[in-house]
Amino acid sequence: MAGWTRSDIGGFLAKQGILIAFFLFIIGFTIANERFLAPENIMGVVRSSAILGVMALGVTFVVISGNLDLSVGSMMSFSTIVVLDLHDKLGPALAIPAMFALTLCLGALIGFLVGYLKLNSLIVTLGMLSAIHGLTLTYSGGKNMDIADKGGTWFSIFGQGEIFGIPVPILIFVGLAALLGIVLARTPFGRKVYAVGGNGVAATFSGIRRARIVFACYLLSSFCVATAGLIQASRSLGSQNTVGQGLELEVLAAVILGGASLLGGSGTIFKTIIGVLILGFIQNGLLLVGLQFYAQYVVTWIIIILAVWLDIAAKRGRLWSPLA
Amino acid sequence: MKIRTILAVSTAVAGLTLANAALAAEYTIGITQNNVGVDSYQTTYDKAFKEAAEANPDVEAVVLDAGGDVARQIAQIEDLIQQEVDAIIIWPTNGEAVIPAVRKAKKAGIPVIVTNSNIAEAGFDFVKSFSGPDNITQGARSAEIMCDKFKDMGIETSAKVVQISGQPGYTTAIERQKGFDDRLPEVCPDVEVLETQPGDWNREKSQKVMEAFLVKYDKIDGVYAGDDNMGVGALNAAKAAGRDGIIFVGATNFAVGYEAMEKGEYWGSIYQSPVDDAKAALKTAVDVLEGKDVPFLNYFDTPKITQDNMSDYTKPVF
Repeated sequence: MAGWTRSDIGGFLAKQGILIAFFLFIIGFTIANERFLAPENIMGVVRSSAILGVMALGVTFVVISGNLDLSVGSMMSFSTIVVLDLHDKLGPALAIPAMFALTLCLGALIGFLVGYLKLNSLIVTLGMLSAIHGLTLTYSGGKNMDIADKGGTWFSIFGQGEIFGIPVPILIFVGLAALLGIVLARTPFGRKVYAVGGNGVAATFSGIRRARIVFACYLLSSFCVATAGLIQASRSLGSQNTVGQGLELEVLAAVILGGASLLGGSGTIFKTIIGVLILGFIQNGLLLVGLQFYAQYVVTWIIIILAVWLDIAAKRGRLWSPLA
Repeated sequence: MKIRTILAVSTAVAGLTLANAALAAEYTIGITQNNVGVDSYQTTYDKAFKEAAEANPDVEAVVLDAGGDVARQIAQIEDLIQQEVDAIIIWPTNGEAVIPAVRKAKKAGIPVIVTNSNIAEAGFDFVKSFSGPDNITQGARSAEIMCDKFKDMGIETSAKVVQISGQPGYTTAIERQKGFDDRLPEVCPDVEVLETQPGDWNREKSQKVMEAFLVKYDKIDGVYAGDDNMGVGALNAAKAAGRDGIIFVGATNFAVGYEAMEKGEYWGSIYQSPVDDAKAALKTAVDVLEGKDVPFLNYFDTPKITQDNMSDYTKPVF
């Protein structure tokens, strides 16, 4: 590492523009309120970002394969409500696998429609956004779902537990991220996902079964959603039907912010994690600064645009496009 | 041909029965509800309204449900106008879109009573009365609950409060915040509201907001939330951070809040009963028909509930 030349460093910076943006924001927020960097605050932000993060991991696969998934928010509400309801009916040991199975069925349905029937993923998952919401409402009769005996269940470990002082949601997030990061970067399956998203026709001609890869990506996404639902349910031990509402856009924002292309073929798990953390820290930082909340929506948008701009500027080595 | 005759006959018979029913009872009152079955509040309201109408011999009720669909609700109002009911009660699916239909009813000489959530101000001219909860009073009473508790604890001169409001832009959220903000300085002038941030009626979001408050402020004595759902989210954050002794007060009592009160973790809230809501709507309609003087904003009472008096109230169904 001692032999780094200037161009090496330049090349590194160009690849990690989003990382630079991330550190700039952290410095900015810390100047505004020195408690921003307090360990308990960082731990809190990472813990509450874990739910969004776990969902973003799955959506990263879907986006790299050249598709969209707008159904993850409703699907997360569905998993949360189902596991809470079944917890009291079947006990936690059975409720968790049952919820995973039901959520994977939804993922399989979307995967079938987009992969094998080749329907447009935007239309399919936009439709599923409201269809699954309706399903959740029907299932619960519109009621809030709560675990009756909140004190006497080990179910709370996934959302509230700690191992060696680290909150379990963070451990789940990091573990799953490491696993899926390896799958995406180091396995034939991962390479096929990039190939399908980068150039689907070429991928087909090289003998990749496109439908099967797309199907697997949606299945993986629904698995991540189920995990997020589990953490959510365990964290609050009760939930509204709308708990995941709007998360699909935050997830997508995090994935895109991490540099994945909406057209497919590019993106990494690591960058998605940075995207998730940026969103989490912006939300928390604005609260700590105490900005009036109507302004927060606008400022959030400005920061996201700044981050994306910095990322692109670093890649092309100048602040504006030479072609414009 | 035959089918048509049968249809005609059965319609005539049905018409006759309806007419008979109308003759038997003094007033026919039609109601179109927002979305029965979507939550327990509306389901209980529906049941209570039917029971109240049943119990009143002067009233014949036509109970309809819009299923959350504005178009269907407008069609239902038109149906009720056609049936020439004496009064129409409406629980608006949408405060703006129903105004033309409400105007039509007024033109037909049928008084309209709005229940639970008011329609937009542009439609006030066509409405006889609004029957529902008063969000400003709910907020003000929450301030009183909070202040009384601080006085009991002897910290009314130094206490610091944070507020978690409902979704920005919602009338309910704005009014509950206003009621609290206006009343608190009157009863407890030395209590300081450190900051207000929205929890969007969402437990998870409120938990995040509260986590940030706990990092930002070393001393928090009270939390006021726009409803118990958000209040319990804040409570979860405080418990996770190990910050004890904070007084939690909500502006509408939910089952989760009631349970937290039973455990002694949550201090109080405002009790809003769907049964009272339904009864008040029917009573307002009957009063209007009897020619009584009914105020335009006809609020039903939403009392304070705290750990001290909660045994007087049953657990909310929602």
